[in-house]
Order: sequence, then C-alpha cells, then structure tokens
Amino acid sequence: MVALARKTLLHEWRRFLPAVLAVGFACLLQLLQIAFVLGIFSSASVYITGSTAQLWVGYPGTQSVNFGSPIHEEVEARLLMDPEIRRVESFVWLDADWRGARGEASVFVSGIDTRAGGMLFARVLPATLRELLREPDAVIVDRSDLDKLGVQVGDAATINGRRVRVVAVTRGLRALGGANVVASLDTARRLDPDAATTIGPTYFVAQLKHPDRADAVAARVCCSPAFGPYEVWTAPVFARRAEMYWLLETGAGAGVLFLAVIVFAAGAAISSQALLAAVAGSIREYATLNALGVGIANLRWVVLEQALWVGVAGLLGATGLGGALLLLAREQDVPAVLNVSVTVACMAVALGVAAVSGLAAVRSLRRADPATLLR
Amino acid sequence: MPPAPPPLRADRVSKTFVTGRLRSSILKDLSLEIEAGQLTLISGPSGCGKSTLLAILSGLQGVDSGHVYALGDDMAQLDTHALERFRLKHTGFVFQDFGLFPALNAREQVELPLHYLGLTRAEARARAMQVLDEVGLSSRVQLKPAELSGGEKQRVAIARAIAKEPALLFADEPTSALDAANGTIIIELLHRIAGMHGTTVLCVSHDPRVISHADRVLSMEDGRIVNDHRNVPGPSPKELRE
Repeated sequence: MVALARKTLLHEWRRFLPAVLAVGFACLLQLLQIAFVLGIFSSASVYITGSTAQLWVGYPGTQSVNFGSPIHEEVEARLLMDPEIRRVESFVWLDADWRGARGEASVFVSGIDTRAGGMLFARVLPATLRELLREPDAVIVDRSDLDKLGVQVGDAATINGRRVRVVAVTRGLRALGGANVVASLDTARRLDPDAATTIGPTYFVAQLKHPDRADAVAARVCCSPAFGPYEVWTAPVFARRAEMYWLLETGAGAGVLFLAVIVFAAGAAISSQALLAAVAGSIREYATLNALGVGIANLRWVVLEQALWVGVAGLLGATGLGGALLLLAREQDVPAVLNVSVTVACMAVALGVAAVSGLAAVRSLRRADPATLLR
Repeated sequence: MPPAPPPLRADRVSKTFVTGRLRSSILKDLSLEIEAGQLTLISGPSGCGKSTLLAILSGLQGVDSGHVYALGDDMAQLDTHALERFRLKHTGFVFQDFGLFPALNAREQVELPLHYLGLTRAEARARAMQVLDEVGLSSRVQLKPAELSGGEKQRVAIARAIAKEPALLFADEPTSALDAANGTIIIELLHRIAGMHGTTVLCVSHDPRVISHADRVLSMEDGRIVNDHRNVPGPSPKELRE
C-alpha cells in the first residue's frame, strides 16, 4: 500500500507543523503541570515516601503527617505484641519557629530514631548523616532551604528559642510552606515546648517481617481501645491520603482539571484548523482519487491516519522536551513527580487531541467532489 | 448475432442548474451513443454543456430526467457507494490539472488506486511499471510531480487512469494546460489507448488540435448536439490490435 498519509505528512511538513506543535504543546503543558503539582504535593508525604516503614500509626483521622497529634506511648507495646511486626520506631513531628543568623522561618521538625537501620528518612538520609544526628542539638536540613533559613553547614540557629547546629545538608526534604528540619528524637523533644505534658510521640512506624502482608497486619493491630485513640495505615495509603488532601483542599486538583480541559480544547482547535487547511490544500487530489473510484470512506482513513501521525510526532516532541525540562527541574531541586499512569494519561490526551482534530478535518472531505474538477 | 450494445448511452437526458433565482438549462433532451474502441471528442464553445455531459455520462453527476446507461447499468439505479465501486472497476479519468499528489513519485501515483482495486503490492508495482512504460515514462518513475514537465505529469495521470484497465476513459480538457508538442503527444496517446485496448475514450476539449486525432467529433451548442462527424477511418481498432 502506498503510504499516502505518511508521505504527504513528510513532504508537506510545513503545512502540518502547526498541528504537530499544537498537539505537542498540549501534551507538554499537561505533563509539566501535573508533574509540578504532584511534585509540590508529594512533599506533603516526603516523611512517608522517604522512609522504609510499612505501617504508620497516628491519631485517628489524621489527613496528612503535619496534622498529627500525640498518641499514647503504650501503643508501641501493642504493636510489638504482634508476631509479624519486626521493628517499631517513634517519630516526633512538630511545627516550630526558626531563627538563623540571617533569617526567620517556619520549620517542621522531625525527630527520628538515629540507630543504624532506622526507618524514618532512610531513603534521603545516608547512614553517615543519620549518625551525625546523635550529637546533641544537631540538625540536618535540605540544601535548597539554606538561603531561606539563613545558615550554612556548621552554623548555629535557634528553634523555639533553643539552640541547634546545622551539621549537614541533604536533598529530597523540601516541604510545603516551610522547611523540614531533621533531628534526633531527643533533640526534637528538647525543642518541643509541650514536651513535659505530652503522652507520647506523634507517630509510631513499623517494619514487618513480610511487607506484602501490610494490609492484613494494619487491620489486625488497628484501634485497640485499651491503648487510647490511634489508627493504623499502610505507607502507600497514608501517603496517598496526604497528597489527595492537599490536592483537594487547596483546589489544585480542580485547577489541574480545569487547565486540562482548556489545554485540550485549545490544542484541538489549533490542530484541527491546521489539519483542515492541509486537507483543503489537497482537496483536488482527493477529488481525483474519488473520481477514480476510491471511496470517501477510504479517504477519511487517510486523513485520520495523518491525524494519528501528527499525534505521534507531537507526542515524541513533547516527550523529548518534557524529559529535558524535568531533568532540569530535578537538577534545580524543583519538585516534579511523574509516574507511569500520569504519563500514559498525558499521551492519551495528546492522541485524543489528534483524533478529535482528525475527525474535524474529515468533514472537509465533503468538498472533494470530482464533478468540481470538470471545467 | 445482434450488435453489442454501446458502452455508453444517454437517453433523452436533461440537466438544469439553479443559481439563486436563475434557472439555466444546460442539457436539453439529449440522446447519444458512444462506441467502444474509439476516441470520441465533444467540442463546443464555453458554456455549451460539454463538461456537464461528461460528468453525467461518467456518473459524477445525476440527471434531472432521462437515463444514462454505462456498460449496461442504469446509473440512476446506483447509490453513492455503488457508483464509487463502478468507477473504481470500470472508469478512468484524466483532468486538466493532473490531480497528482505532490508527495508521491510517478510509480506511486499509478499504484495508489490499484491497491483499492485489491491488487497486491507486487501486482500493483508490475502494472504501474508496465503502463508507465506504455506512456513513455519508464525512465521517470522515481520523479515527483515537481520534477516532471506538464506533459509528463499528464502522461502520469493517463497511466494512473489506464492502469486499472478501465472499459471507459474520460478526459476533460487534457491538453489545454500544455504546449503544442505535448498536447499532440497526449492526444495521440489517448487515441492509441482506444485503438490498442478497445477502451471507450470520451474527451471534452475545445482544442482544435484534438479534432484531427478523434475518430468522432460531437459538436455541442446550447445544450444540444448540433453535429456528429466521423473522421475518415484509419485502421480500425480491431486492425490495430492485430
């Protein structure tokens, strides 16, 4: 079969370029928008995704890590009673005021277990840095927050009026609306003005002997009334809960959808116009083919195939450019998260834009009437 | 044995166009028969209805009254799909402005309709090469329209039309965009196709050069055939085939 659609597309690429660009940019905008929104809100769950715990135990109804309230210390005993739980750690989370030499900021202090093999922030804190936290008053911050906090590594600052010292920096700790500060459990408790009256840590996290049984264990150890109010979530459930809370609470989710609709409509409008013009430019040739007996239905497939190739070309462009931009973002510590389902969804949107444009362009084949070729 | 029915027959056809309040009667109660294996020319002044007659005889347009029979089929009885099918199997077209796709080379232009006719890739290629050779373009098969002269483009268009081996070949002003030499080549080619393949070739033209090459000249005026002239026969189509 002569590849009429593809050959025409390559030969008359200038004519099809606006359609390719429209589809490509629609896909790129969609992709980057979602990547950045997910990136921003994934920082709400960095405590969970940066850790290796399979279970999170906190105050009932907690929507996101930063809304935690203390739970009773005895919950740890309930967890350790379960034969499938291998290890339990405390996690203290508190909202605090930072004063550095050149800046003030709102910070979120994470008090973590500094023993080797600790679960909290295992994915962002190498063992050597975790060890440094054993030093009294030692804290670690994200390297991109140094300016905001007005300090350098080795500088001293105060949190809630108590002295701390920045012993190291790491990456992947950026927070939503403040800066994350990691300390040992002891240091964190010293920084908590309510430490004297608190009943226990903000969370317990647990590691299981068989991580694939997390759902069953979470259901089993949850909510014994004898240990005070607490709830148990698996790590993915809790992380997703935090991300969804922020996505919906801030209206960002609606914003993403709204922009997606606009981008789809604008992309389809531009690319359908370009395809219409391309079909109109070849209308006499199509009419000649129809005179020779090639049915309008067959000609429609040629136009739809062209639209599909336009979609594929746009997609390739968007993937290349999008990948480069996301790498640049990562280099600059700009949070951006992309997963397979989002990428596939964006590709589907791009091909959808191309398909809708193709269907719109098909209409102009009505003018491919061979009788008009006769003078 | 009764004589074979003519491949094309118009029986008292009329056609009127309405533009706003204006009604123009283009064809008036016109009847004619076109014979196989001949180059029949319809000539006449601009607006006399010759292109409309070609459109109606080729099934590209319907009639207001009367009947058109092509290869024994009453064209009015065929729906759009059946008409497309009929054209695919039985008719070839050559237009004034060639209608070639800029992206395809000469061979691909000819192959394209053959695929829709159901030929395999190899069959289509072999047939395309054969007809391009017949129109004298075997050395130009890889060239795209932009690299071909006007006369060569029209020869590619003729090759595309005859590659399907149609019984009916329609040509609308095939020489008017060409210079004298190329115009003559094209009209000789159409004449030869009628003779060699037994194809019914119906050509509309106001080009005086064409008249001397036609087997039969129908002169039209004001929607009617006013003169039906047969040129002195050369060798008959049968003789040519032999």
